[in-house]
Amino acid sequence: MTHLVDRAAPDGWLSRLSRIRYRGRRVDWQAYLFILPFALIFIVITLLPIFFGIYISFNEWGIVGDPEWVGLDNFREAMQDDWIPKVWGNTFQMAALVVPGTVIVALLMALWINREQWFSGPIRTAFFAPHVVAITVTAIIWIWIFEKETGLLNLALYGIGIPKQGWLTTSKWVIQSISLVTIWQAVGFHMVILLAGLKEIPAELGEAAVIDGASAWQAFWRITLPLLTPALGLVITLEIISAFRIFGQVYLMTGGGPGGHSATIVSYIYHEGFVRFRLGFAAALSLLLFLTILIFTLLRARLVREHSN
Amino acid sequence: MSNLGLSTLYNRSSVRFIRTFIIWFPGAVVALLWLFPLYWMLNTSVKPDRLILAGMDLIPTEITWEHYRTVVADTPVIRWFINSIVTSVCVVAGSLVLGSLTGFALARMHFPGRTVIFWLLISSLMIPPEMSIVPLFIGVLRLEVQDSFTSLIIPPLASVFPVYLYRQFFLSFPRELEDAAAIDGCSRLGTFLRVALPLARPATLAGAILIFTSNWNSFLWPLLVAFKTEWKTLPVGMAFYTRLDIQGTSTQSGYGEAMAAVAIVALPTLIFFLILQRYFIEGVTQVGIKG
Repeated sequence: MTHLVDRAAPDGWLSRLSRIRYRGRRVDWQAYLFILPFALIFIVITLLPIFFGIYISFNEWGIVGDPEWVGLDNFREAMQDDWIPKVWGNTFQMAALVVPGTVIVALLMALWINREQWFSGPIRTAFFAPHVVAITVTAIIWIWIFEKETGLLNLALYGIGIPKQGWLTTSKWVIQSISLVTIWQAVGFHMVILLAGLKEIPAELGEAAVIDGASAWQAFWRITLPLLTPALGLVITLEIISAFRIFGQVYLMTGGGPGGHSATIVSYIYHEGFVRFRLGFAAALSLLLFLTILIFTLLRARLVREHSN
Repeated sequence: MSNLGLSTLYNRSSVRFIRTFIIWFPGAVVALLWLFPLYWMLNTSVKPDRLILAGMDLIPTEITWEHYRTVVADTPVIRWFINSIVTSVCVVAGSLVLGSLTGFALARMHFPGRTVIFWLLISSLMIPPEMSIVPLFIGVLRLEVQDSFTSLIIPPLASVFPVYLYRQFFLSFPRELEDAAAIDGCSRLGTFLRVALPLARPATLAGAILIFTSNWNSFLWPLLVAFKTEWKTLPVGMAFYTRLDIQGTSTQSGYGEAMAAVAIVALPTLIFFLILQRYFIEGVTQVGIKG
């Protein structure tokens, strides 16, 4: 077979190319053509902008006029800016509620649906549905639910004797309210990932443990949870990333208010970059956001590794 | 088997029914609560003004399309709808072409750099999109493509998700299929088009639905590149209705219109989801398990 091909094109560069081997197999040169279109877009839209963004963060860069190299000034300013501790603090508080809240609720829902009881299908649909609507939809519905005088939450609580609260208008409640909305929307997605993880665990394992005298509770902690670690790790990582990037709900529901009590990192980036057009400073903030997320995801990975050792 | 008597008692169907019910019931209540905000949106959007705050009827006693008519009259909703549809459909089509070609190469072709390219793509997922948003925005302004489909459609095409989805799918292909195609004289492109792609239908459907939904719902990027009202997408345009209630004026008319407005944004993806649920779940599962 090979000598036939060789005779057809004895010494052309193409045939020489086609005989090049990599790790014992012929190289599929056409693969590069398959990859080329996406690679170009990925380089132009993702890769180059990341490096260009780092460059911009060392510049004073407005929407008009020429950019000016200012070295570390943007970062120095960030260190002294009063808003930075505030927006980072707000975001940490939201993440501290949203990440555990979402993961625990999603896990409970997944365990519950995995029992395959009555109406499991429609109930799974109900949990997932909020995930498919736009943030504008979520925000506007919940603005009404949280509204002080005519909101459904206050009406319901008033019925059982709890006084009306300004859920989105007082610093006491605004972070909790936004976190609740975020959890409501995110939980269905993570439930599906965890459900897929649960389906991979052979049912006999749990049954065997129960026969060996373990309680259902012990079986959960000793068997189900350890085997679910990969799926849980993925869910926690995705949730950390998205909690640190909370923007739409804040932009639409409170505009960062009252008094900046719900302003998040990304809403501050939006404000500095695209309202005040301080693009250099916004790029520096984005870099700090990336580092924050990186630290937390690495911490997460490390915790899991130590836990499983 | 000393505890035989106890276990027969335990297994009696009525006891089991009660046990199951005790676990089932709270979950069912939570499911109803979870669905309630979306249900209330639809319910309010068809209620006449005077019944919105007066009656907490779970099923509307009177139905009106008035609020939808007002939304269409007050905002360029048809234009926004077209922007959203054109953008989402183009992004879906483009992403599927790019993703399937790249995913196929990464899963089934042998070439130096394959592993490096894959890990580069995967690790880019750890970098928040906000990192590239300032440079992309500057690029859009320099090229003067703000307020255009170019700026709405091209950046989302760089998403790694479709590449990953197809790669995972093609990895599970039996080797023999390609060999058979090669013996029949198919080129690599021929194998891809005639054998691999038709068999990848589940991945294509799951990808199409998830990409469509995420682009339909996309918020920050379309907010930045639409300076003129007529270039807004539906979710960005409908943000207008946050103003109606936030001041707490409790004007009755606000809620019906606001709920009709967001129902217009929500219904396409909700209907899509209800019909094609299976593929939604499969898509998310693919990403989850094999990740």
